[in-house]
Amino acid sequence: MPNSRDILIIGAGHNGLVAAFYLAKAGFKPLVLERRAQVGGAAITEEFHPGFRCSTLAHSAGPLRPDIVRDMQLARHGLKFAPSEISTVSLTPDGRALVLHSDSNKSAQEISQWSPKDAAAYADFAAALAKISKVIAEALALTPPNIDNPSSGDLWGMLKTGRSIRNLGKKDLYRVLRWGPMAVADLVAEFFDTEPLRATIAARGIFGTFLGPWSAGSALVLLIRAAADPTPAGTPQFPIGGAGAITAAMAAAAQEAGAEIRTNAAVEQVLIKDGVATAVVLANGEEIPARAIVSNADPRRTFMCLVDPIHLPPDFVQKIKNFRCAGTVAKINLALSALPDFTALKSRAAETPNLLASRLQVSPEIDYLERAFDESKYGSFSRAPYLEIAFPSLSDPSLAPAGQHVMSIYVQYAPFNLKAADGTKSPANWESQRKALGETVVKTIAHYAPDLPQKILRHQIITPQDLEDTYGLTGGHIFHGELALDQFFTMRPLLDWARYKTPIDRLFLCGSGTHPGTGLTGASGANAAREILKTLKK
Amino acid sequence: MATNYDIIVIGGGHNGLTNAAYLAKAGKRVLVLERRHVLGGAACTEEVFPGFKFSVCSYVVSLLRPEIIRDLDLPRHGLEILPLDGTFTPMPSGDYLWRVNDHGKTHREIARHSRVDAEAYDEFGKAMQAMCRFVKPILSMIPPDPSTLNPRELMKLLFIGRRFQGMSSDDKYNQVQLMTMSAVDFLDQWFETDVLKATMSASGIIGTFLGVRSPGTAYVLLHHYMGEIDGAFRAWGFARGGTGAISNAIAGAAREAGVEIRTEAAIAQILVKNNRAYGVVLANGDEIHASVISSSVDPRLTFTKMIAPGHLPDEFLEGVNRYKFRGSSGKVNMALSGLPNFKCLPGIGAHLRGAMSISPSVDYMEKAYDEAKYGHWSSRPYIDMVIPTLTDTSLAPPGKHILSCFVQYAPYKLAPGLDWDTEKEKFGDNVVNTISEYAPNIRDIILHRQVVTPLDLEREWGLSEGNIFQGELSLEQLFFLRPVAGWAQFRSPIKNLYMCGSATHPGGGIMGGPGRLAALEILKDAKAS
Repeated sequence: MPNSRDILIIGAGHNGLVAAFYLAKAGFKPLVLERRAQVGGAAITEEFHPGFRCSTLAHSAGPLRPDIVRDMQLARHGLKFAPSEISTVSLTPDGRALVLHSDSNKSAQEISQWSPKDAAAYADFAAALAKISKVIAEALALTPPNIDNPSSGDLWGMLKTGRSIRNLGKKDLYRVLRWGPMAVADLVAEFFDTEPLRATIAARGIFGTFLGPWSAGSALVLLIRAAADPTPAGTPQFPIGGAGAITAAMAAAAQEAGAEIRTNAAVEQVLIKDGVATAVVLANGEEIPARAIVSNADPRRTFMCLVDPIHLPPDFVQKIKNFRCAGTVAKINLALSALPDFTALKSRAAETPNLLASRLQVSPEIDYLERAFDESKYGSFSRAPYLEIAFPSLSDPSLAPAGQHVMSIYVQYAPFNLKAADGTKSPANWESQRKALGETVVKTIAHYAPDLPQKILRHQIITPQDLEDTYGLTGGHIFHGELALDQFFTMRPLLDWARYKTPIDRLFLCGSGTHPGTGLTGASGANAAREILKTLKK
Repeated sequence: MATNYDIIVIGGGHNGLTNAAYLAKAGKRVLVLERRHVLGGAACTEEVFPGFKFSVCSYVVSLLRPEIIRDLDLPRHGLEILPLDGTFTPMPSGDYLWRVNDHGKTHREIARHSRVDAEAYDEFGKAMQAMCRFVKPILSMIPPDPSTLNPRELMKLLFIGRRFQGMSSDDKYNQVQLMTMSAVDFLDQWFETDVLKATMSASGIIGTFLGVRSPGTAYVLLHHYMGEIDGAFRAWGFARGGTGAISNAIAGAAREAGVEIRTEAAIAQILVKNNRAYGVVLANGDEIHASVISSSVDPRLTFTKMIAPGHLPDEFLEGVNRYKFRGSSGKVNMALSGLPNFKCLPGIGAHLRGAMSISPSVDYMEKAYDEAKYGHWSSRPYIDMVIPTLTDTSLAPPGKHILSCFVQYAPYKLAPGLDWDTEKEKFGDNVVNTISEYAPNIRDIILHRQVVTPLDLEREWGLSEGNIFQGELSLEQLFFLRPVAGWAQFRSPIKNLYMCGSATHPGGGIMGGPGRLAALEILKDAKAS
């Protein structure tokens, strides 16, 4: 067949690129097709105001799984991270800041100014989390077992994980079992009294999800994220050059390994013949046949848009329709004439540059986060949202003109499905809310840095609707689908279909909608490549 | 005075009595000690106002394990379950949703709201039955200890695994969702009618401090679906004579088997020597010895109030202190001179004979929870009401009625500055106001009103923090994690001291499961020693 490819990968997001790399490494010649003009998916750096560049969406790595960084030799391909020792600077309404470090002794020192008891408990919590997260990390690297008919490999994997869990000892074993389904607010309350400390750690359990800190299962999200980075609040990893630098390095590594990448190549349809995926059709009508097709698009998009659902079993279609992927996240990027002055940092002038170069969090108390969540349940964005703020131009001055800065703000909760005040659902009215969302966020930050509004040269406001329309994330969900107990591990995206395969022969998934599916770690892409290779080599 | 018994059961609630009955039937000499003047714990009937007998706390029954009814021959001891047919949900729009046990009628009624939902309702019922079939054997199982390598424990896990594997792919999918999702997320997949989802989701939050959108509530939905009277799933009923009649029937069976029962016998302390429980001291100073103590009160009372410090390992005590109660509900019982007249369905009809549910929309339910999260009782609460006198006329003088209202949310911990003793009557007024929006004549027919707050449940009925299940039914407190991880097999770190109340597997409701399972374990140990 002319132009036939062995493997096509739909979407050059980070998971697509990781999968492409491993498949190429194994001797295949994958072709990655990217709809947009640049690779990267949600890990991109773009100019949003003349001279100002910013990580448009995600601004910190997940962090990346170390074996992926090593295998792809990302450092050699130009990826560099800003040095980071500070985990989080958590701002409180009384003008203070709780600073957490990746070093748990330093954190304890800082916490002792709030509560000596919590300072002592912090070491316990950090140690328990480190121990447990190691076992979770093992499970995340695993392909979820086949429930109906576990293969010997599945059993071996389960046995190994089972043994690691047992080796934790009775106390930590029961912790894993008990913590998983808990509300993260309960979990942190078992260790700490200080509200900003509780909330700052708990925020990790709600990040990107439609959960509040009092929602059961939010502790699991914290554990999953801790698997990649066991420090209690997580330490951000800012790539020099923005998130786009990560995917640029990945693209280079994949290409070097033998993959080919085409941008401006939107896949319209996956062609299926007798239950087998045979080719894709591009927006320009071009048809590319292939031996196997791997979709890095989210499950909803893959099965409801790219594939004609007629080729799928009806109950599968029904379940995919029920796959929850309504996002809660918006992103605001600001071009600033100068750095804003944060009240809380005035007394710590010497440290200020380091503190600002890390991550600032607006999560002063559990109830603050829960109230922010409450509003989103009824279809409006939080008037006092949870925020995570970074100034990437501090670690990489090339992102803004000299003396000027970019400010990258992650905003939660901004529900994809807005409702009108009278409770009726009026879809697609995010456009009318765009300005109000920007104002709310700036106002919220101005409470901690009163001079911020005067320093703004330009807003870039990315609503959940933009995440869907421009960046292809269905429902605007940054994880391609809700991270919750019922959509995790053997259930991600669906029970019986958690092994990167689909009901259509030769069509695979490799995106965040598959296990483990969190943030910028590359784990889904790497796990998927392993399974695809197994199938194709048969 | 020191009389010797084989076993002393602390608490004469339905689980304590069940426990005692099973032990006595196996030939043990058993003494039950109840602090109050009436038996039954929260399953009691009391004449609160002259002529009006209230099921003060628990008011309907469905979860009572059929094997217990059979083993203890409860009908012969006076247990008679009367039908409670249907759930009537009035809506602010002037419409209503009225589901009854008659399949055809319910189908037509739901179709009036949505044809699609009427079809889905049948499918849903079938799916829930399949789920119940999977979960039921687990309810009768001693929870395994996943931390050991003991083959017997592993077999139990394997048994569950096998049963899970044996289900159809759809059932597996549903089961996993039920164990993990929120009631609303789960119902959203089946139905579109808001009021239907709201009123169905209510069973997912009863007695828990969770909202209908909180993950984990789908399981509680199933827990309540498991009701079984005469083998019919999802059938709820009244006990003739009020819920106290259930406890009395169990007590009758226990006495017949030789159990001695004393009321007004509060326990001051459980006696422990060399890490072995050997008796109790009553509040009046009496000391009674026994080789086994079986406590049906919750772990907080048992281990932190009745045991002198120093007898328990720290880690276990940490677990006990961590165990979450968080009572979230109250009761308002009313003596009525007539019957409520609903605006949306006026007159005296069959709708008054079933449950009447104030749960008009999902957002209504969720907002009720939001208020409670921050320490306020819901200004517009979820209310589940029944008028048992329409089925059982013995409970009130002729022509008069009683209205039993279960109200949620009433958080045990109120916001700073508020306390339940001052809020109590305001809370009661608010319930009347809420009902009057649907049945305005309610104000005119109230003769007496009794308000039971979570604090009352704690003080009077010994339910810590007023939790009606002796501890939340949340995932991290179920099965082998209930009440304390590693201590889910009814035993405690103190030898010969057992737990047999709702705080143990399979949990709360008038089920009797914990009492029975604990008795089996006690007997097993007795045989082994």
